[in-house]
Amino acid sequence: MAMEVVAARARKGREGRREARQRWLPPVLLAVLLLAIPVAAGMGAAHLPLWMLGQAAAGVQPLSPDQHEILFSIRLPRILAAILVGSGLSVSGLLFQGLFRNPLADPYVIGSSGGALLGASLGVFLLPAVSIAGFGTTALLAFAGAAGSIALVYWLAMADGKTPVVALLLAGFAVSTMLSYSSYFLEVMDNSFGAGMHVLSSWLHGTIVQPGWDQLCIVAVMIVIGIGGSVPLARTLNTLALGEEYAMHLGISVQRTRIAVILIGSLLTAAAVSLGGLISFTGLIVPHILRMVLGPDHVRLLPATALAGALFLLLADTAARTVVAPAELPVGVLTAFIGGPFFLYLLRKARQEVAL
Amino acid sequence: MTPLLEFLRIGFGYGKRTLFNDLDARIVADDCIALVGPNGVGKTTLLRLAAGTLAPECGDVLLKRRSLRSLKQREIARSIAFVPQHVEVSFPFTVEQFVEQGRTPFLRIFGGLGAEDRRAVERALELTDTASLRSRVYNQLSGGERQRVKIALGLAQQPQLLLLDEPMQNLDIGRQFEMVDLIRRLRREGLAILASMHDLSMIEGVFSTVWLLAPDEQMRQGPPREILHPQVLEDAFNCPPRHRPRLVEHTRNRSEIAI
Repeated sequence: MAMEVVAARARKGREGRREARQRWLPPVLLAVLLLAIPVAAGMGAAHLPLWMLGQAAAGVQPLSPDQHEILFSIRLPRILAAILVGSGLSVSGLLFQGLFRNPLADPYVIGSSGGALLGASLGVFLLPAVSIAGFGTTALLAFAGAAGSIALVYWLAMADGKTPVVALLLAGFAVSTMLSYSSYFLEVMDNSFGAGMHVLSSWLHGTIVQPGWDQLCIVAVMIVIGIGGSVPLARTLNTLALGEEYAMHLGISVQRTRIAVILIGSLLTAAAVSLGGLISFTGLIVPHILRMVLGPDHVRLLPATALAGALFLLLADTAARTVVAPAELPVGVLTAFIGGPFFLYLLRKARQEVAL
Repeated sequence: MTPLLEFLRIGFGYGKRTLFNDLDARIVADDCIALVGPNGVGKTTLLRLAAGTLAPECGDVLLKRRSLRSLKQREIARSIAFVPQHVEVSFPFTVEQFVEQGRTPFLRIFGGLGAEDRRAVERALELTDTASLRSRVYNQLSGGERQRVKIALGLAQQPQLLLLDEPMQNLDIGRQFEMVDLIRRLRREGLAILASMHDLSMIEGVFSTVWLLAPDEQMRQGPPREILHPQVLEDAFNCPPRHRPRLVEHTRNRSEIAI
């Protein structure tokens, strides 16, 4: 009897802690993110310490023209790009995991990044990426590529309303490889000049290229629309976790949900890929860690995932451009180093829980 | 009494195999019906037709005199709850979060559960005696616990008709008696119940009516004593004749246990 009371109390304590985490995590993440921005802005070859930025912001001592240039044309665009890319990849990972009913789904793993890359490469070769119209077209083609490839993988891997892990990974691997290497083919076809080639190679490595403010605006709009569109889907994904037939019985339109998730997830992937290229595993790690902290409720996971994804990639990209300075690592290399072992660990765990 | 649910000359089959032909049946408010029949005869299919997740090829299913075809699934799910045999949840949802899904047909796109939704969930947990499980992870529950939690999800829909697909499946004898008590309690709450039953021994004393499906025959309906007769069962289930004495014993003895 006493044991039961103790156990009940312990459970209540756990619940209370989880509830507290659910309430406090999003504002805490937001605060840390806002704090990380000026810190990251100060880091790099030219050091801009916080007090200097603070003085400039307070109007005590303005920055020199060089420092101003570094801050507003190089550092801040790069930081915002990392935030947008991280948010987009993480939220699309969360959506795809909910749709596939599989915690191993990730825009990179299931090939939607590859599709977006091929679409974006086509855009680059058709139109110069630097113009707004060119970048807009690039982003649009990336969206089409991502949506097409995810629909293909879903169709290939689906059996009885479920996507078995092996089928999902194999279909994703095959589609992703085909599409990524098709981009190389375009590279060979492009004999005009090196600009497209440079963009393409940075995409394939997963480098966040130095974006212009107009590009950032386009991507920001895509990300905001994507995250906003995910809000009504979050609760539907909770119901979908019971299985498609049951969700249908409860009045969820499964077909419409599927299309909405594919479109919105692809929009987010495309936005992220058109700035950062193939950045692996971010969409896998971030939602997974948050699920361990907050539980599986998508309504709670969505805002936390958007913020944590932004923070994760901002930290990763800042590390990528500073650890081997003056050289730079593609941030994709870093996320692969962190995410690869993590992915394998999850795969191992999934194998123990359910027979593949 | 106005019927809750009516099957009007239903026809349905998969491909060339016809399961139902001109099937007529009705469920009224305080019916408690056991649906029995051999494997593959279409028990689950009939439940799906009743839940509106399958549409009949011909004929019509009426909910309170309105065709299910003319109703949205959301509207149907507010009157009829279907409790499937197996539910696999892809993420570690807690029992409470699981049962909350029963409010889905009542919720708008934006906005979460209101006070009335909370009350319905609490009532469902209370009726099924699962309130103590609320913070456990559904996937880690035992078979008996899962069965009751699934029924709690159905009750959270505040239905008038509860469709149970094999509620006794994989339960040990103690949990079977628990389920019998639960079904009796739900009858007292005024719910109509249609449950497919694999095990015939638990039917008498719990269910008021038995529907017997047999291959290539019209469905038979009647009180348990009439339908659970060895001769009738032998034909419907195609039992080898030499097992007849055991069939007699089976129906007689087990029904005593249940009462």
